[in-house]
Amino acid sequence: MIQVKDLTKDYGPRRAIDKLNFSISKGDVVGFLGPNGAGKSTTMKIITGFMAPSHGNASVAGFDVFENPLEVKKRIGYLPEIPPVYADMYVQDYLRYVAALKQVPKEKIEGSVKNAIEKTNLGDVQKRLIHHLSKGFKQRVGIAQAIVSDPEVLILDEPTVGLDPKQVAEIRELIKSLKGQHTIILSTHILPEVEATCEKVIIINKGRIVAEDSIQNLSTMEQGQIRLHVRLRKSVEDMQNVLSGMGSVIGVHSGASAKEWSIDLKGSEEAVENVSSLLVGKGYGLLELTPAKRDLEDVFLKLTYGQQEKGGPA
Amino acid sequence: MSGTLVIFKKELKGFYFNSTFWMICFLVSVVFSWVYPIQLNLFSQLLMNYVMQQGVPQNQLNIHYGVFLRQLSYLNLLLIFVVPALTMKLFAEEKKLRTFDLLLTSPVTSFQIVMGKYLAALGAVGGIVLLALLYPLATSTLATVNWGPLFIAFLGIFLVGGVYAAMNLFASSLTENSIVAYVASVIFNVSIWFVGIGTEVVDGERARKIFEHVSLSSHLSGLVEGTVRTNGLIFFLSIIVLFCFLAERVVESSRWR
Repeated sequence: MIQVKDLTKDYGPRRAIDKLNFSISKGDVVGFLGPNGAGKSTTMKIITGFMAPSHGNASVAGFDVFENPLEVKKRIGYLPEIPPVYADMYVQDYLRYVAALKQVPKEKIEGSVKNAIEKTNLGDVQKRLIHHLSKGFKQRVGIAQAIVSDPEVLILDEPTVGLDPKQVAEIRELIKSLKGQHTIILSTHILPEVEATCEKVIIINKGRIVAEDSIQNLSTMEQGQIRLHVRLRKSVEDMQNVLSGMGSVIGVHSGASAKEWSIDLKGSEEAVENVSSLLVGKGYGLLELTPAKRDLEDVFLKLTYGQQEKGGPA
Repeated sequence: MSGTLVIFKKELKGFYFNSTFWMICFLVSVVFSWVYPIQLNLFSQLLMNYVMQQGVPQNQLNIHYGVFLRQLSYLNLLLIFVVPALTMKLFAEEKKLRTFDLLLTSPVTSFQIVMGKYLAALGAVGGIVLLALLYPLATSTLATVNWGPLFIAFLGIFLVGGVYAAMNLFASSLTENSIVAYVASVIFNVSIWFVGIGTEVVDGERARKIFEHVSLSSHLSGLVEGTVRTNGLIFFLSIIVLFCFLAERVVESSRWR
């Protein structure tokens, strides 16, 4: 659906994105992840035909965004960082205007506006001035605006930024409900958002792609490795020594006190069982034993900031 | 072409369903309601006394010259300041509020965006010119009016308003600050009247002719006297096309900048 090839954008001497290559197939929900200033918005703006790349090209549904921008724009719904709403228009009128602008046939405009209002739960405010709406509602009007023409591709740039937790949850629900009908690209620097809504992640840092994979694969990047958090009743001075006899232990990190440790294991559940029986057998008073998966946050930090894992419980 | 129509409708609604526009209309009508009756009164006194006065120019005894043309020059003065107030937000506000993103990611060309906005601005200017036309229309119940020259004169001032609108649309496209757009627009509107001043300082016959041809006032004076010349119309249209084209380039440039 979306093909990006060697995409480069220079702002004067500053290179915002550097030779990006990725492709997104129809129906995918892709999270576009990166720290602030990584080039997320720039990439999205290029895909929407808002600006031209310095080098390389991007195409949507087989149409090049620079050669054939109108065809691309017909197929795209875009929510920029700041929702592009006119404060002096009524919600309904605004959506009608956008639908007409996106070349929705005249007889279908009323239907699509109604549909978009329903999907985004704007029924109560549809006859109010956008000026009088809260930020959360404005954001929803922004999303309604993006989906009103029922586009094949939906590009959402940080859709939940600046919203309260309830609104964030609502917007995520909304995005989930849009799955399957559209190909969605979602840019964000909020990790749980990606985990909650996306199937595939592209992590970008300093204008380059540092990882591109499914969430499942990213979070279990180092296969067969398990980290255990243990909490004991008695203090243990040197856990390394206690566990020294076990071949499956590859690392031991101390926690907040001598009663808390995290243990990295190689192998399967058997290794976990061995550790627990050893600790119980030695009479340390095992209170807690939790296996922790490496989560997306670790992966993200490691990839974007090059930060090594710190010892101790996460 | 449908993109032009959609934007035109939206912007025209934005003018006519907005209190600012009606406020401007109100203020314009306040000015005319004060000045126009005074003009009319002076004219009627002049007519009553002209036998006793020597050396009154013949054309001053015609209502077209004595009243309507004066009103038109006031209208022109008002338009210099009013048109920028109408057009300043057309692009500047969109850029500031980031609604410009919506236009640029919609399947419309830069040309359609500029045309839609320009035609809407023309619609608003037309409203003000019609408002001014009400005064001569009301006068026609008291006096004999020669309709042909009157309408042509108002067409002339409408075209000048169209030139202002095009220049001011361009000024608005340059910035995202409405105040800057306003000030730049007023400067554009005032300075276009000074182009013709060149006729008085150049020596060569050819240079003088050139300045005469690019002078707004020499083309307008033909129209306000009721004569339509194609070179005048072409001149107005060329300026309008030029500035609309420049605005279109500025809008387009945001795609590759």
